[in-house]
Amino acid sequence: MNDRGGIAPYPGMLSWLRQSVMELVLMVLCTVLAFNAEGFFTRENLLNVLRNVSMQGIIAFGMTMVIIAGEIDLSVGSAVAFSGCLTAWLTGFLSGPGGGLPMPLAVTLAIAASLGAGGAIGCLTGWLRTRFRVPTFITTLAWLTVLKGASELITNGFSLTPFPRWYNFVGGGYVAGIPFPAIVFVLIFVLSHFVMNYTPFGRSVYAVGGNAEAARLSGINVSRVKILVMGSVALLAALSGVMQSSQIMSGNFTTGTGWELDVISAVIIGGTSLMGGAGTVWGTLIGVIFLGVLVNGMTLLNISEYWQHVVRGGLILIAVLLNLAPSERK
Amino acid sequence: MQVHTLQTQHIRKEYPGTIALDDVSVTFEGGKIHGLVGKNGAGKSTLIKILAGTVQPTSGSILLDGREIFLRSAQDAFHQGVATVYQELSLVPSLTVAENILLGRWPQRGLTPISGRLEIGCLSPLRGMLVDWPAVWTRAQAVLDSMHVALDVRRQVGDLGVAQQQIVEIAKAMSFNPSVLMLDEPTSALAQHETENLFQLLRKLAGQGVAIVYITHRLQELPRVADKIMVLRDGRYAGTLEMGQARPEDIVRLMFGEVVQKERPVDLQVGAGTVLEVRQLGRHGKFHGISFELHEGEILGIAGMLGSGRTELLRAIFGADPFDEGEILVAGRSLRRTSPEQMKMLGVAFTPEERKQQALVQSLSIRANLCMSSMNRIARYGVLTRIRERASIRGLVEELAIRIPDLEMPVSSLSGGNQQKVVVGKWLSTQPKVILLDEPTRGIDVQAKQQVFQILWDLSRRGIGSLVVSSELEELLEVCHRVLIMKKGALAGEVRPHELPADELYVRCMEA
Repeated sequence: MNDRGGIAPYPGMLSWLRQSVMELVLMVLCTVLAFNAEGFFTRENLLNVLRNVSMQGIIAFGMTMVIIAGEIDLSVGSAVAFSGCLTAWLTGFLSGPGGGLPMPLAVTLAIAASLGAGGAIGCLTGWLRTRFRVPTFITTLAWLTVLKGASELITNGFSLTPFPRWYNFVGGGYVAGIPFPAIVFVLIFVLSHFVMNYTPFGRSVYAVGGNAEAARLSGINVSRVKILVMGSVALLAALSGVMQSSQIMSGNFTTGTGWELDVISAVIIGGTSLMGGAGTVWGTLIGVIFLGVLVNGMTLLNISEYWQHVVRGGLILIAVLLNLAPSERK
Repeated sequence: MQVHTLQTQHIRKEYPGTIALDDVSVTFEGGKIHGLVGKNGAGKSTLIKILAGTVQPTSGSILLDGREIFLRSAQDAFHQGVATVYQELSLVPSLTVAENILLGRWPQRGLTPISGRLEIGCLSPLRGMLVDWPAVWTRAQAVLDSMHVALDVRRQVGDLGVAQQQIVEIAKAMSFNPSVLMLDEPTSALAQHETENLFQLLRKLAGQGVAIVYITHRLQELPRVADKIMVLRDGRYAGTLEMGQARPEDIVRLMFGEVVQKERPVDLQVGAGTVLEVRQLGRHGKFHGISFELHEGEILGIAGMLGSGRTELLRAIFGADPFDEGEILVAGRSLRRTSPEQMKMLGVAFTPEERKQQALVQSLSIRANLCMSSMNRIARYGVLTRIRERASIRGLVEELAIRIPDLEMPVSSLSGGNQQKVVVGKWLSTQPKVILLDEPTRGIDVQAKQQVFQILWDLSRRGIGSLVVSSELEELLEVCHRVLIMKKGALAGEVRPHELPADELYVRCMEA
């Protein structure tokens, strides 16, 4: 079932255990919390966890593809803020005296523009990588600051609140008792899983991350792959930014701060190698849920926020060690 | 002046599937320059690696001045008096000549005042933590002086030309005061006069009692530098010739032995149509003016020495590297610029020289690698499932006799021969009209080589045109319908296999 990029599993029970470490740890964690944390195992709390992980989880699926392809995006947090602020500002402008459009149209156009801008910025990063060999680490590091600054400029440091009441549905609404963001989260998961496992494009991502030169000499368009994965993660970050702006009903430049670290952590904990060429979308799903449950559990157990940081950091280290192939352990 | 002798006795080296060296006993005498020659696969590199300490012999011994020595590592070999200078220089361009000569062995001093006399007791634990720069310059200069070479020790190596860098590399080796100095293809990057300078230097060093072993493919250089010529063939010692008495034909005969011409299957016809044409193709500094036609079902070989531009030509045709002039005609199109993606769509395939780095994604499974170039073809409505992949490659696996228990295993677990079959198989599923093969039999055992030949002949029967670059001249003569000769980036001739035995072809490939 789990194709970690085509690497064959060892035969036998022991190997299955080794492969499913994270799933087992998650089950153990949930069980422990169910018995020890007050209020963990309630419908309300679990749905809350789901809503919280959705915002970052959506981005994590895109980040998985990026890291498998051998690249990285450090700017997703700022992209979230930028997207939210741009949506808010455009909504205000288009529905106000300047644009004169009816609110639903203004909101739609604003969202479309934000998603478009986000995707375009990502594609630009990918293009710079393939055309000028600028490492994505560098470009996205620059975007991290630029987009944050842009968000501050757009909002002039204030919180923009142009949105109508119904806008809250995107980030705070429910469909059949399930938070809307969670539905989007599941949809993106299914889509990512499908693309990575059942399409030539997905296979190309693994090939490019595993050995870009061999992929190129096999006739794969490496440039297109890189541009598309960088564009995808940026687009997902923009989408998350829109949902976030809906949840807090404003465009605020402080949203998304530090999200890149959480997203990358979840991807790593889920088993994706920073070297590229290996990892799964399912693994990221587990990683995202695991982190969400852990933070929620620590809060319910009244563990101080500072200790929470220490725990989260330590986890990444442990996750990397657990996920190293035997040949890499010396 | 100390004169040393290095002897190998009954050296044997086995690898899984092949015997690289079989009972090789040779003697290298101090004060003489020994040319070591042999064709590809003769075992030269293996013998050098053993003497350089990087590879251990399966059996046999090495004696220095009659005493058995064990060379456990490259470092160990240097310290025991066997120094090697490789074709690829291992210098640090950003450091100076002196620092490179004494790389890792820079003289040290303690934390003392400049006068060097007083030592503060409590600071003596810091002794030896600093580099003693005056000593570095002096010692490096001394090495260069003993070689009678004039070079500024303070210059950055990166600023030097190739010939001078090579001298630094040799100085580095000489700074160990070796008994034996081995040089692997030292003149491949040098111009005429630089080669002459090198030869003079080597004669000087030999005059100091060092035993010099000089490995080369360029037989025409040997009369100018070597005292003796030692020949390896098929992993065995074939003989030694004294320089005065050796003619090139004698040397080549020792290298190739009795040349047995194998028969190509009779049913291989060359079709009338042209599947690939190249006109005046050129790339600055690599090759120029290349024109030829490849016909349906034809196996066209390109022979030439290392550095003649064959790989660059193949890569340019496939679009892996750009070219500056000329055009490529394939599938009815004329191209002045192309890419691997485009060439694949036009029915051209390419198996690169470096299997591991360029042809396969080691982290992926055999199945994934076999399907990599034909994913769009295998997918239905854009959906690619394992089932469809496996179905499409099943026939291929059988046809190519790729022996593996499980297609999901990582491709890195396969032997060289099977990996090569995966590379060829990957391209066969794209149903190409033309296939470009760069050194397809490199590093694979005899049995797998025969299988690769069979595959090439099958391709011919199917009407696919093959362009084969190989350093194994006998193989080209065995497999191909026609062989082009490439020298220094240009086409220097064309032969038909029955016209020419391998040793004469070798001579024709050598640069003037």
